[in-house]
Amino acid sequence: MKIKKLFALSAAAIMTVTALAGCGNKKPDLAYIQDKGTMVIGYTIMEPLNYTDKSGEFVGFETEFATAVCEKLGVKPEFQLIDWDSKESELSSKTIDCVWNGLTITDERKANMSITNPYLDNRQVLVVKKDNVEKYTASLDGASIVVEAESAGDELAKSDSRFANATVTAVDAQATALMDVKAGTSDVAVIDYVMAVGSIHEGSDYADLEFIDLDFPAEQYGVAFRKGSNVTEEVNKIMDEMRADGTLEQIAEKYDLIDILIK
Amino acid sequence: MEVLLSLLGSFKTNLIIFFGTIIAAVPLGLLITFCSMSKFKPLSYISKTFVWIIRGTPLMLQLFVVLYGPGILFDIPMQNRLLAAFIAFIINYAAYFSEIYRGGIESIPKGQYEAGQVLGLTKVQIFTRIVLMQVVKHIVPPMGNEIITLVKDTSLARIIGVAEIIQGAQVFTKQGLIWPLFSTGLFFLAMCGLLTLLFNWLEKKMNYYHA
Repeated sequence: MKIKKLFALSAAAIMTVTALAGCGNKKPDLAYIQDKGTMVIGYTIMEPLNYTDKSGEFVGFETEFATAVCEKLGVKPEFQLIDWDSKESELSSKTIDCVWNGLTITDERKANMSITNPYLDNRQVLVVKKDNVEKYTASLDGASIVVEAESAGDELAKSDSRFANATVTAVDAQATALMDVKAGTSDVAVIDYVMAVGSIHEGSDYADLEFIDLDFPAEQYGVAFRKGSNVTEEVNKIMDEMRADGTLEQIAEKYDLIDILIK
Repeated sequence: MEVLLSLLGSFKTNLIIFFGTIIAAVPLGLLITFCSMSKFKPLSYISKTFVWIIRGTPLMLQLFVVLYGPGILFDIPMQNRLLAAFIAFIINYAAYFSEIYRGGIESIPKGQYEAGQVLGLTKVQIFTRIVLMQVVKHIVPPMGNEIITLVKDTSLARIIGVAEIIQGAQVFTKQGLIWPLFSTGLFFLAMCGLLTLLFNWLEKKMNYYHA
């Protein structure tokens, strides 16, 4: 038993040392990405940002936006589906180069990642069964709330006083949160306005749900790169160009997001 | 129908992980067993510690370590997610298999080894001609159990972004179509059913060896 512990301790020691040694001496991120010729873009599926349309083509506002920026950077975009909870690990282990998927800018995220200027104004809405609209518009006391772990909805449910007397459960995705409400496991889901518009409509399995817009404070979407990355400034410049020449507006128009585009 | 075909396409990834893991972990497990049972103490301690670490930590954590570890610790990003899944699954299952093998080998009474020695057989001959087939018979049920668990564990690969069937189904969930997620169970059931039949047949075939 003693020897096993010794092994475990030395293994831990080796890992710490290598972790420290790993720091420093890296080439700038822009050069790294341009040298390999591809930018690996982490995303999760979310209509109308990143999704596959009826004809099987991978489209969406973020998809087209990212592809256009990559073109200007002279690299090939490579879209990689990720687990949203792992985005920071994915970035720092370089298994992806950026998260381009309706990422809400928060102070905590700014401390861990390098985030571009905002380009969309989003806000959180409540999703409930149609019968419950009035009840939960009035008060959330005693309601069971479901949010996506680490999402902006999660933050809101933790900080806003309207949720003070409700129980909050975190699940792995906004879509799971919707399913929770549909199945009756939870009463209210807190999700992005953009996501609600994209998934709750006639003909979808969520047609029996409805969203309530309580005008929670607006949040802004940005693209996240690795902490300390110099690609961020470059993308900011390209974004300004795309605003100036109207390309960004065109893409937003195509996906009905023109109202929340930051001009 | 289109949805089921798309799910079947994703299930191929589960099957690739499944067969790849079996092919590599079955022999690797035997190697670990020999190390664990070695008379050379340091080797046996290292091997047992290894098995302890692998069996003592969640497979999900091991997947994270294999995918993110190289990039974070050594700045050598792991480029291939499927490869990362293979590494984690193979190591994990080899550790479990090795303990099943060890149990099987240790279940053979000492007297049989002694009898072999009296007959003038070498150590290798005793193992291959007397012990091995009895061990195989003993380990079929626990191996069947572990292998069926592996079928379902392959769906864990989605947490490191491998496009397996549950992830494939969640694509539909996000489009507002819920039933595909639950229908994935049928694919796992079918695969496990086939394996159960295979192992029943194997057990029957092995009845010849009375231990």
